[in-house]
Amino acid sequence: MARPLTKTEPDGTLYRRPAPVEAQVDEAVQLKLPDLRRRLLVTDRNNAAYLRSECLVHLLRHGRRAGDQALMSAVLPVLLSRCEANLLVTVPDGRMPDATSLRQDILDGLTELFVLDGLGENPAELDFYECRFNKAFRTLRIDAVRRAARRSKEIIDVAALPPSEAEGEPDAYEDAFARVSDAFKVFPTQEWDAFREPFLNAIEALPPEEREAVILVHVLGYKEESEDPNEETAATRCNCTGRTIRNRLTRAAGKLARFKEDV
Amino acid sequence: MTQTLNANPHSLREAFYALSVAQDVPDAKLLDDMVRRYPEFGEELTEFAIALAVDSLRGERVIEAAEAALDPNVVSPAVSRAISHFQNRLHAVTAGERATETKPATPASPDAPNPFAALPRPEFRALAERLNANAVFVGKLRDRQIDPRTMTPGFQRRVAEELKAPLEVVVAHFAASQAAPVRQFFKAETKPSAGDQQTFEEAVRSCGLTEAQQQALLEL
Repeated sequence: MARPLTKTEPDGTLYRRPAPVEAQVDEAVQLKLPDLRRRLLVTDRNNAAYLRSECLVHLLRHGRRAGDQALMSAVLPVLLSRCEANLLVTVPDGRMPDATSLRQDILDGLTELFVLDGLGENPAELDFYECRFNKAFRTLRIDAVRRAARRSKEIIDVAALPPSEAEGEPDAYEDAFARVSDAFKVFPTQEWDAFREPFLNAIEALPPEEREAVILVHVLGYKEESEDPNEETAATRCNCTGRTIRNRLTRAAGKLARFKEDV
Repeated sequence: MTQTLNANPHSLREAFYALSVAQDVPDAKLLDDMVRRYPEFGEELTEFAIALAVDSLRGERVIEAAEAALDPNVVSPAVSRAISHFQNRLHAVTAGERATETKPATPASPDAPNPFAALPRPEFRALAERLNANAVFVGKLRDRQIDPRTMTPGFQRRVAEELKAPLEVVVAHFAASQAAPVRQFFKAETKPSAGDQQTFEEAVRSCGLTEAQQQALLEL
């Protein structure tokens, strides 16, 4: 049986790997190195022999604890290659200044977690990666992008879309935001795939304050403001007035209205 | 919206993980819950939740397709560099662990692992920025040009945090003696020495830092 995780939920219960991960870990730790190497060549997630990234994390931690260089040398390149493929999509050249260095920093940062596993202030950080690798890795990535953007004082470098002629019209305002809310509900469909990239570009092209207002109100579901001083709203989250939020939404609507016919 | 980069990076990332693994796309209820759990990171969590929502627009398919297209027999230069980084850092940390096990007292050997040595140039510069200093100052830390007895514990902790290295490794590095050149022959009549160490304050004052940067470092 795989070594239990040690990180705890807020209620004190221990983190547990999802059952399919647990089963695969139990199987993978029994594999001889040549068999493991064969399994590591499988890249199709739908292939039964495919080893999940959560499982690779477990094997690497096991190798780190046991000082097993052969195991680490077999597994680490595969995990890092998957992460690099992810980063080439999510941190592409041209969207951030010096994206190449940033991707390298993120890969190095991931290896750092293995180096410091069991040490320091957060010795069980990799437990997240053994449970939900992709969500944990996106955390590492988004945090790194956030820090890089703050350091360079540059916001995501995407050319602003031209303002739509529909700017300021009430119907366009409603339509544009209906599309935003819908987009977050329908994005797994094939129909959405055709519009994903331009829609994402449009959202990212918004000035940060407008993007925050749009996402807080139309995706997360906050009210613009409230008369109840204890209620959290988009205005309280952004430390501004409800009127400011509405102004930002109006400006954003004009820029997003072009999608009312497209999406 | 403003946010700080000076928060304890471990606690902040812990909060980010909790938000990220809870749902694919966060909603107001989840964000409110997380801000109640981590009230010191309200602004950071709000910005992170927005980033998560925007990021979710990409969907998993495009990432899956990129992974499926990998040639498992090819290791890219970026992955090679990351593996090299891992091996160097692992060596430094495990050597530090062994040193701590065998020498509980502060070591003064020039062989203590240098946690700065494995840093690639971009990370070296990034470290300088995270410390609100510059490369000249970090170079002095790397080369043990500062008398560790004049450094505050707060400063040493901050360096360890930003280096993501165990505090004991960083302290051992600072406490180790400077490395003198090891070549067999020298042009000078006497063997070169590593030079005198500066006090922490002298080092801070002589690196071309702004007044505000100097003040911030001295107050750590």
